Amino acid sequence: MEDRRRLSILITPSVIFMLILFVLPLLIMVVYTFRQGSFGPTSRIFTLAHYHDFLSDRALQGLLWRSVVQSFWISIISVCLAYPVSYHLSFRAGERKMTLLTIIIVTAWVSFLLRILAWKVLLGGSGAIASLAQGLGLSEEGVPFLIYSQAAVNLTLIYVWIPFVALPIFAALERIDPSLHEAAYDLGCSRPEAFVRVTLPLSLPGVVAGFLFVFIPTVGEYVTPSLVGGTTGVMFGNIVRDQFVRALNWPLGSLMSLAMLIVVLIPLVVAARLFKFSDLAGL
Amino acid sequence: MKLQAFVSKASLLTILLLALGACGGGQAEGDGKLTILEWSGYEATENPDFFGPFVEKYGENFGDKLDYIFFAEDAEAYAKIQTDVAADLVHPCNSWWQLYVDNGLVQEIDTSKLSNWSHVNPALAALGQFDGKQYFVPWDWGYESMLVRTDLVPEVPTSWADLWNPQYAGHIALWDSGEANYAMTALAFGIDPWNSTPENDEFIKQKLIELKPNVLTYWSDYTEAYDLPQTGDAWIVVNAWQDAYANADSNGFAVEYVQPSEGRLGWVCGFGISTNTADLDLAYEYIDASIADSSMAALANTYWYGPANTNALADIDPYVVEFMELDQANSIQERTSFYQPITEEQRQTRTGIWDEVKVSQ
Repeated sequence: MEDRRRLSILITPSVIFMLILFVLPLLIMVVYTFRQGSFGPTSRIFTLAHYHDFLSDRALQGLLWRSVVQSFWISIISVCLAYPVSYHLSFRAGERKMTLLTIIIVTAWVSFLLRILAWKVLLGGSGAIASLAQGLGLSEEGVPFLIYSQAAVNLTLIYVWIPFVALPIFAALERIDPSLHEAAYDLGCSRPEAFVRVTLPLSLPGVVAGFLFVFIPTVGEYVTPSLVGGTTGVMFGNIVRDQFVRALNWPLGSLMSLAMLIVVLIPLVVAARLFKFSDLAGL
Repeated sequence: MKLQAFVSKASLLTILLLALGACGGGQAEGDGKLTILEWSGYEATENPDFFGPFVEKYGENFGDKLDYIFFAEDAEAYAKIQTDVAADLVHPCNSWWQLYVDNGLVQEIDTSKLSNWSHVNPALAALGQFDGKQYFVPWDWGYESMLVRTDLVPEVPTSWADLWNPQYAGHIALWDSGEANYAMTALAFGIDPWNSTPENDEFIKQKLIELKPNVLTYWSDYTEAYDLPQTGDAWIVVNAWQDAYANADSNGFAVEYVQPSEGRLGWVCGFGISTNTADLDLAYEYIDASIADSSMAALANTYWYGPANTNALADIDPYVVEFMELDQANSIQERTSFYQPITEEQRQTRTGIWDEVKVSQ
């Protein structure tokens, strides 16, 4: 009993925080999806019209799907690129482990926006990469190379996310008991075999956590596409933003956000079924 | 207490507290302090000379009289005031003014309380009148047109319709705004931008989709309108404001701010007094100070924005006067299509059209 009471007191602030700033706003958002207008008298009329509009808009659903697929690949590539980094940190870096880890973390401290703008400069018509491409005869002089395209969005996001993916994978690799590797070698495993049969399976919770760290925010991304995406890089998040800051159509914007939330929840639920939550959280 | 029971009790308590909290608020307090819903960059605390007489009257501590709540988009300002953010003054742009009036968010302005009112351009003042009553005091205005890098384009466009010319393929930056692109396209094809019909809507959507091969990117922040032509990424920035021209020009770039044959677009923003204000006298003092000759000259010289006060010319840089054609105040409206109030439904439709254009592949 004493333990339970102590636990209750400890979790009270977090529970209240989550209720007010997370659960309640989500409920408000759901209520908004049924409202006719954003404010005033029309907000007191409840309707399914926005559901009808959204469900009959194939182009918009298509964009949501394309954004999900795009985020999926961005997440997969981020994981693939981050894994060797984490592996090296955990098993090969030795004494330099903390130094290298700090370097990775420090890059993540630089403002998200600044890093996107840096890519904009690099890829722009007078930037380093464009100049190189011109030198190699890959593009015309002064013509932006790669930027203002979906490829630029992918490149920028993968770059931005790698440190965030590397950390949970590193944490998962660190938890692997070295004696398991020794046992694998003693039992006749080659290095690749030991990796595939011991290291990789044991690091999967970190891989999944890293994947979700990228996938969830990327589906709703709108800043990167807006800055480097041009006409082909537009994502679902850009259209959601338009509903709020241009059309003042909060109900439709809320519904679009809700649709996105549901789409993001599916892989989360699948991941939670396959792995224990405590593993994903790196505990 | 079981954990589950505890959590549900805590939730209930939280919701009750929030409900109690929601009952208060909304009314501006008469605390002798003015709360202004404002774009950032216009605040008196940053630019005291935009409000000369107000600053003179209250001395160095004039800042104690003012509180600012900032917004980055007109929709944001409107949403804030609609959701009970207590402001005494608001500074939206004119395509939004009608909404404020129709929803009873601003009160009629007694222009006899404004000593500088007689110098306000009557044509701009008329945009702030609804049902014969003055609800908004115009303050700053400007143009929207094509900002062109003359050294990069094969030919400088002379009309909005020229944007559709394939010679600009992949080199145009459009503003990421359905409202602006609707107006620009309507002008290009001789349609009244403020009269929506389903046929016009469909025609404009098709035209914007046709324009896509010429489009490099969409700009959404004014800093992008500054950067895109200067890096050379875009040859033409569409619906750019004149300050983007001023910036590129002063940095030594070969640029032109086109006077299209169909006329430029024009915008005007101004002050409205909240229906709920409890500091009415102070609100009038602030507005009056903002439209004083010296304040308006400072605004024009600093930002290259047009002043609503036509009497301020003597103190404005002659270069700005000439470029903005401030000395021909009476004919500005004849050559420029100023934005007109549009309904909530029109705004949603225009954003919807623009979203369809962006989503189309």
